[in-house]
Amino acid sequence: MTGRSGRGSNNGAVVPVDPALVLAAIGAPVVAGTATLLLPRGRTSLRVLLATCGPLASLLFVGAHLRRYGVASNEEGTTAIAWVPSLNLDLGFLVDGLATFFALLIAGVGVLIVLYSRAYFGSDGPSLARFFPTLGLFTTAMLGVVLADHMLLTVLFWELTSISSFFLIGWDRDDEEAVKRATQAFVTTGLGGLSLLGGVLLLGDATGSWRWSGLVTGASDIGSGGTIVAAFILIFIGAASKSAQWPFHYWLPGAMLAPTPVSAYLHSATMVKAGVFLLGRLLPVFGLLSLWLPMVVAFGAVTMLLGAVLALQQHELKRMFAYATVSQLGLFVCMYGLGGATDGHGVSAIDWDLSQIASHALYKAPLFLVAGALAHRVGARRMSELFGLWRRRVPGARLPAVILLAAGYALAGGPGTVSFVAKELFFGSVRHAAGTRPLLVVVAVMAVMAAMCNVAIAVRLAATVFGWRTGVGDAAGASTHGAGHGNDRWGAVLWLPAAGLVLLQYVGGLVPTVWNSVFGRLEVNVNDEAFAGGLPWFWEPFLHPGVPLAMSMAAIVLGIALGCSALMRGQVDDVHDRIYPESYRLILRYGHRAFHRVQTGHLRHYLVLMFAMLLLSISWAAWIDPTMLRLPDGLAPFESLSGLMLGAVVCAAAIALPLVSERVVRVLVLGASGFAVVGLYLVYQAPDLALTQLMFEIISVILFLLVLRLLPRPDRRPRISPAPRLVLAVLVGLVVGWMTLLAGHAAEQRGEEVATLGEFFEEHSLHGSELTDGHGGGGRNIVNVILVDFRGFDTLGEITVLATAALGVWSMLPGRRRHRDGGFPRMVPGVGSPAGIDSLILRTAVQLVFPLTMLFAVYAALKGHDGPGGGFIAGLVTAVGLCTYRMAFGQRAFHRLLPIHPRWLVFVGLSVAAGVAALPLLLGQPLLRSGSATLSLGGEGLHLVSAMAFDLGVLLVVVGVAVGMIGRLGEELNW
Amino acid sequence: MTTVLAICVTVIVTVSVYLMLSRELKSIAMGVFLLGHGANLSIIAMSGSPVLPGGGLRQPPILGDGILVDALPQALILTAIVINFAVMGFFLTLLVLTARNTGTLNLDELALEDPPVASPELEPTVDGGPGGGVGR
Repeated sequence: MTGRSGRGSNNGAVVPVDPALVLAAIGAPVVAGTATLLLPRGRTSLRVLLATCGPLASLLFVGAHLRRYGVASNEEGTTAIAWVPSLNLDLGFLVDGLATFFALLIAGVGVLIVLYSRAYFGSDGPSLARFFPTLGLFTTAMLGVVLADHMLLTVLFWELTSISSFFLIGWDRDDEEAVKRATQAFVTTGLGGLSLLGGVLLLGDATGSWRWSGLVTGASDIGSGGTIVAAFILIFIGAASKSAQWPFHYWLPGAMLAPTPVSAYLHSATMVKAGVFLLGRLLPVFGLLSLWLPMVVAFGAVTMLLGAVLALQQHELKRMFAYATVSQLGLFVCMYGLGGATDGHGVSAIDWDLSQIASHALYKAPLFLVAGALAHRVGARRMSELFGLWRRRVPGARLPAVILLAAGYALAGGPGTVSFVAKELFFGSVRHAAGTRPLLVVVAVMAVMAAMCNVAIAVRLAATVFGWRTGVGDAAGASTHGAGHGNDRWGAVLWLPAAGLVLLQYVGGLVPTVWNSVFGRLEVNVNDEAFAGGLPWFWEPFLHPGVPLAMSMAAIVLGIALGCSALMRGQVDDVHDRIYPESYRLILRYGHRAFHRVQTGHLRHYLVLMFAMLLLSISWAAWIDPTMLRLPDGLAPFESLSGLMLGAVVCAAAIALPLVSERVVRVLVLGASGFAVVGLYLVYQAPDLALTQLMFEIISVILFLLVLRLLPRPDRRPRISPAPRLVLAVLVGLVVGWMTLLAGHAAEQRGEEVATLGEFFEEHSLHGSELTDGHGGGGRNIVNVILVDFRGFDTLGEITVLATAALGVWSMLPGRRRHRDGGFPRMVPGVGSPAGIDSLILRTAVQLVFPLTMLFAVYAALKGHDGPGGGFIAGLVTAVGLCTYRMAFGQRAFHRLLPIHPRWLVFVGLSVAAGVAALPLLLGQPLLRSGSATLSLGGEGLHLVSAMAFDLGVLLVVVGVAVGMIGRLGEELNW
Repeated sequence: MTTVLAICVTVIVTVSVYLMLSRELKSIAMGVFLLGHGANLSIIAMSGSPVLPGGGLRQPPILGDGILVDALPQALILTAIVINFAVMGFFLTLLVLTARNTGTLNLDELALEDPPVASPELEPTVDGGPGGGVGR
């Protein structure tokens, strides 16, 4: 990654853009939204105003950015806050025309939505209190998606929109259906997000550029290799799932159980456009791929037609608008797909894409908002219940009805709206592309059909409102129940935002110069091909009639006819609605079966599986490299007589283990093999290991014998047939032994010139070198220096594991006091007594040995850095001493000797070790860097290293853990 | 010397695998601890034979005169031994608790007592997994 990072990044370019403005714009909504939580409960109006400040601030920040820097072209618009430069990770933002447009749209609609939600939720304080922070988070996430330059940052914000939208869709937590739909939307878009992540990773790795800006600059040389195509397909799946393209579109109508402000904001104006936005970002990158046009256009066109047809056959306003949105999203995708149709020089066949998107937001959001308003004023959202609304004189319903019709007119793409011109432009680009690719005529037909359905929807909306016979349903089902709240002084906000947005549709449609002055600047930089003109006056298409106008007129005429006819009037269910529940069911069922097949619950089966895998993988390796099976030469089994004899003892003890049946003998045999291993360590010149193992064996034999008393005697029943067991065991043993032989032999045969890690430690154990910035370990005992210095962090983790294990033991076997209250029945009656084992010989011996043990522990702790010893050994020695003391003199005497609970030792030890490790950080040095000093102790110079303090922590932990575990198990036996 | 170790490792691993495949939890525990020895011996074999080709011995890894043995495997094993100790204490405590709560250490009986998962209609829940907690 680092090797190729130079190409795409903006190293060379001058970056004048200030990232603070962008960051402030992104962060403002969530900050303001969260801040509303600090307000007292009753202050709803204040809450709304504060929440409004968030998107408003974003709007202003983006506006200020636009004012100061203008519309930047690709490379100039990037800005970054460095984070981990070595990994090429930063908070990179790209503020070009596309991003600015989307940011303005998100923030602008965001302001209106905040106000609208006040009227929608009424004065429902708790609901609003919850709503604004979530909405703020969503707005921030959405702004992040469109402004991010670093691809991973985009993915991050992308996922954040999925998460926040999950909360918003399932807003009504008591409504199970809503929560289910929210989960469906989340899983669908979340899986798409994973796909996006995969594509981004592939793309970033293949090109070495992790920035959209860098990709666009280097777009010509990304080629069309398999990786690039795979990356494109994955990213497209991500975009398609977010933008509700077929066959993922089912989540969007399902998400209509969300509160209306959420539907209007997420599901028409912003979030569903994230995929469209991504396609806009990708067009310059992937537009030249031969796959781009057919794939993107196909999915877009299918979605466009399917959505429109389904929308026409819905009777519930929100669902109808949701399918219309699906259709429109398909159109956008199709539009960007057509952008890949080239005529020799670069990208063409795409004009005014941003105006298309803005136009949709300006009529679809109002439609949703009005649907919510009608639900409030009339108490109905179904067409049949709204029949004849105009004549019914429901208070406050006429104004929303007017807006509904005005927005519906824009939906139909009637002349005089931006929508009309936008549709003309789309038809124009389809025709343009079809000129070189005749197959695209199909898309043109589909586009006309989709437009026709939209017109029919508008006709039926009008017929319903005015109660014409061609409308859907009749007044019989009408009701005015639940009409209601929102009639306080915020009531006007129910329709004002919608009115404002729709107004822009007509302003832009009738006076395009205004529109051009706003969006024209942003459009120019989207494509390489500068669009010199502007949105035309609405009469111009009529003055220069052509194929696009003919398509529009055909759609309008046919649409009116369709709307008045009896065709496609019934309410249909979308067959795709079953995709998610069915897959969910299948996954559960077969997952359950597969789980039971694999997870038998028998330890043996798992073990056999693991060992079989080991054997298989080794066999495979041997198959590839048969030299593995050759016996290495130069073996000298008889070079050390003591080693040979100890080895024999180890083997004999191990073989005896399964043969003896008396359990105490088994423990002793296990111990015997351990003690023989101690001898082997000595032969291998490992005094530290030998000491540690010795202490460990002592403690473990004690531990095992203790536990045996607590366990039930085994019942005698027929054993598992030993033959297969034995065969598998012998095979595994042979493989592991053979590997040991090969590895050990290879280590012996290694030439002097081969550098090993061990040599590095040997050279730096005492003094440093250039390699370590002159810092050495300051000790002569290499093993100990490795433990407390080179691998000190590892050791810190290890004693944490020790402490955790001890905590586990203490919590699983809580103290005795609790037992008395009402604890567990004792399986084994207490043996021995709190006074210890009554043996004069033992007591006398311990009295003699105990001080010596402690003395040796101190010596091992102090000299551990230079000679055999160290914290682990000293700790184990201490623990052994304390345990024998306890055995001889009993609990009470032991508690007098060590009056605190061992957990304090563990606590203090861990704190000391962590403190010593972290201390250098305060001095501006790396973690665990050691310092040293020499202390004169009665003539003998004692070399003190800070690592020894670390070792002291290790010692305390080991003592606490060992004594604590044994003590607790001993208490169980009343011993 | 490596040959001797290899044979020891073979025997130890064979016995411990044999023990781990038994149905008695105590035998399994012994197998696990024995396996620890086998692994440690296998690791120390990586430092090569302590006997020099000329007949002399390498010195322990404490700076001084002479050729030292490789210290790294020793450091790794020292860590392993101590961790082994913690694992052992934890494992044995689990044995005690299992015996106390179920009255048996026989794996087959334990498997019968705790089927892994409930019905397919249920979504996996926190308490659905196999677990013989303290409170049972």
